[in-house]
Amino acid sequence: MALRGVWQLKKLIVSYCDWGGSSRGIRAFMESELPTFKEKNPQLEVVTELIRGQHPHLKGFYKNKNERVVCVKNMTPEDILLYGTRLRNALGRKVVKLKTRHVTKHPSVQGTWTTDVKF
Amino acid sequence: MAHRRCLLSLARYATAIISQKKMPPLSAVEVLTRKPNPAITIPNSELSWFSLWSHSRHFSSSKSEDSETEVEVEMEEASDVEAEHDNAASDLGRDYSPVEKEAEAAAIGYKVLGPLQRSDRVFKDYEPVFAVVQIGSHQFKVSNGDSIFTERLKFCEVNDKLILNKVLLLGSPTQTIIGRPILPDAAVHAVVEEHALDAKVIIFKKKRRKNYRRTKGHRQELTKLRITDIQGIEKQEIKTDGKPLKAAVKNPEKIAAAV
Repeated sequence: MALRGVWQLKKLIVSYCDWGGSSRGIRAFMESELPTFKEKNPQLEVVTELIRGQHPHLKGFYKNKNERVVCVKNMTPEDILLYGTRLRNALGRKVVKLKTRHVTKHPSVQGTWTTDVKF
Repeated sequence: MAHRRCLLSLARYATAIISQKKMPPLSAVEVLTRKPNPAITIPNSELSWFSLWSHSRHFSSSKSEDSETEVEVEMEEASDVEAEHDNAASDLGRDYSPVEKEAEAAAIGYKVLGPLQRSDRVFKDYEPVFAVVQIGSHQFKVSNGDSIFTERLKFCEVNDKLILNKVLLLGSPTQTIIGRPILPDAAVHAVVEEHALDAKVIIFKKKRRKNYRRTKGHRQELTKLRITDIQGIEKQEIKTDGKPLKAAVKNPEKIAAAV
């Protein structure tokens, strides 16, 4: 996501294994989808990383110094793209249950109503 | 064994039905004689009846002994409804033309303007103006600088500019405009900040003494919008907003004093 027009995801690490079967999808993803994904997101630093013998994952580093890891073993390239864009679309805040769906600094324009207010 | 017997009887009836089906009008007597059968046979008989007749509805209508034409009309309607359902299903399978997208978005209450450019200076300081907007089935009281979480909005990307056009009410410290039910020439501008998943909700079903437990997780998709501008309340108001700002700052003190 982008907070006031500033993209929050700074860096995306795509880790994969060149041998394992669970990395089959991500290898296809790196061939087909990753170049266009990189092109569409010039603000984003995309790094591929080879870790042999491990399941593949995506790791996002956010501007607020949070990081988020998504396991993508045995997924199809489309699914992996979906998870990649989800990481990009997120703000990197901690996932907590929302107390309210309306966040404001100025709760009232015409004055807060109290029992004393007479019209 | 009972099962097999039923299947056998079923097969017999099926052949009988096929032979009867060729004769055009089904008399009420025939329907009556056949009526007890579905009651005797097991539910899976209904399936085969269904496949043979292509409509299980026939039963309910034949019980009431309607005239044959009416039944046929009903069957046609049923098939029409099914066709509509098919269309809806294919619509869900994301093949929208731009016009359809716009119509859907308008029904929810927004319009996509396109991506936010670097040069756009849409983020302004707070103005003491508020609006009540409807997005989908939720209504929010917003003023500029607020952020709201809506259900995920389709067809818009992060960093897109939106216009929310279902404005129900506008207000400033001195004035209030109420829509009936909406204000057609008012608009609220917003920017999409985030498409994210809400925290996980766990759905737990349990039946007592039945050894039945089901656990399912769900994460709702949400869109975070930031309100950038409210239009429709007169420019004059915005100009005079400088003074009310001070007044608004003073007022709370007064209220506090009064309290």
